Amino acid sequence: MESWVVVSAVTMGYLLLSLAVGLASGRGSSKTTEGYVAGDRSLGFLVMYFIMGASIFSAFAFLGGPGWAYSRGAAAFYILSYGTVGLIPWYFFGPRVARLGRQRGYVTQAELFADRFQSRWLSAILALISLLAFLPYLTLQMQGAGYVFEVVTEGRVPAWLGAAIAYGVVLIYVYGSGVMGVGWTNTFQGVFMMVLAWGLGLYLPWRLYGGVGAMFEAILERAPRATEMLAAPGLDAAGNPWTWGGYSSAIAVSAIGFSLWPHYFMKIYTARSEAVLKKTIVFYPTFQIFLIPIMFIGFAGILAHPGVTPADAILPTILMSMQLPAFVVGLFCAGALAASMSTGDAIVHAAGSIMIRDFYRALFRPSLTDAQETQLIRIVVILIAAVAYYFAVVSEMSIVLLLLLSYGFLVQIAPVLLATFFWARATAPGVIAGLLTGVAVVVLFDRVPSLQWQGIQPGIFGLVANLVVLVFVSLATKPMAEEHVRDFVVT
Amino acid sequence: MDTRPRLQSSKLSAPQRRVYAAATIYFVVVFAAMMWPIYPWFARARPLLLGMPFGLFYLAALVVVSFGVALALFVWELRSGVIAGADER
Repeated sequence: MESWVVVSAVTMGYLLLSLAVGLASGRGSSKTTEGYVAGDRSLGFLVMYFIMGASIFSAFAFLGGPGWAYSRGAAAFYILSYGTVGLIPWYFFGPRVARLGRQRGYVTQAELFADRFQSRWLSAILALISLLAFLPYLTLQMQGAGYVFEVVTEGRVPAWLGAAIAYGVVLIYVYGSGVMGVGWTNTFQGVFMMVLAWGLGLYLPWRLYGGVGAMFEAILERAPRATEMLAAPGLDAAGNPWTWGGYSSAIAVSAIGFSLWPHYFMKIYTARSEAVLKKTIVFYPTFQIFLIPIMFIGFAGILAHPGVTPADAILPTILMSMQLPAFVVGLFCAGALAASMSTGDAIVHAAGSIMIRDFYRALFRPSLTDAQETQLIRIVVILIAAVAYYFAVVSEMSIVLLLLLSYGFLVQIAPVLLATFFWARATAPGVIAGLLTGVAVVVLFDRVPSLQWQGIQPGIFGLVANLVVLVFVSLATKPMAEEHVRDFVVT
Repeated sequence: MDTRPRLQSSKLSAPQRRVYAAATIYFVVVFAAMMWPIYPWFARARPLLLGMPFGLFYLAALVVVSFGVALALFVWELRSGVIAGADER
């Protein structure tokens, strides 16, 4: 049998298994929106752990992580750094968010903020910012899935069809099972990816150099610009030394933005108890440490396969050159699909819930019934997947430009969170003006790179402007009723 | 009777507050230790430790130590009873 047939068969078998797990898992939850979006607030440690783990296992980590290590060296260390503290804020505010959610019926991030500031507009603006941050990210996941299919079948299944097949599976289980489908497929896919990452990350340096230490010795002795490659801040995208401002602010923006991603924030409401939530946060680094073997894969390519472009293709390139059995290559492809799908499913599910609850219902149809709402969420899930699919395979527009803005936008939610819990004097006009200013500054600094002093990320400048405007506008407007505010603010 | 939701910290004793303050300070320090101006002091290729460049070993060590600190905080919370829902893990 030809090897591409074996590889394709393994990949398809894996997809079918994911579909079965996804569909079977939705049967236990209730038919309400709370069941569809927040899993009836009943998720235990295992599923929560793997849902959060999937935040690390994205197509970006699986293909982009090795790509960064390969082409930009120690610059890739930033990806390892931000996750170390990225989820820690949850440990301190997460239980409070969960408790308020339980008492007041929230299932999305914006519902908390809109309730605290009594503003439907805040809810709608946050929904739009979330969508702007989601779309590029989802598009990249789809492109990754399509790319995997094309490589696996040696071009017989083109990328557009591959992306359609993988995300067809995702839509079926998200449509049918909601958050339970996302949770249980991520659990299944997470175990699979962990084994694969550690296996490949340790096997490749051993096979090519005789070990991890031997690999880095060889790079230091023989690679051009070895010292710059192996010591942070590494290289920038153009191959020149990166600035400390660029490296440090990338960590700062990502670490602050990480705990604010609306699709992960929503998972706070799904935890069964405070203990489950905190345990998930505590054990998160056991997932994050997997980025180390992932980076080893990229470093392994520096001497063995110089000049691979795009750099993100380094992992498939190494695998194809090693004459591995077709079955093993098939497993890798399934792993890369798992990485893409486990991130993509959480995003489409959250984006659907957010657009209906935080945007449509908040502004136009407060009277929506539970059944109508769940049905609308399902329809929007399909619409959003279609838009991302358009960008992924049809549009010529470079989505990477938008992706750079994703974290810049997300970080602008941080002042809203701080004001919600720590500043009673903050008002709705204040947080809205701050948000809009922050987003505008991010776009401006992104468009005009010469404004980026010391190479610092636009998100940081936006954050500063956001905070200043929030404080001044809040002080200039009428304070909110103390009775209402004290339910939220930490005393 | 006041039935409003209460933040944890409002019913904590002074020693309990000190534990949270210490944990917060620890994580802020770790955050800073991964960026300029602290991390450049450790961002070097040699020596190789556990096969990794020194700068990468340093970051990996921060991940492992931070895991230990968070785990210790969690266990302490369970034992001292400040955590809600500890019975249903």
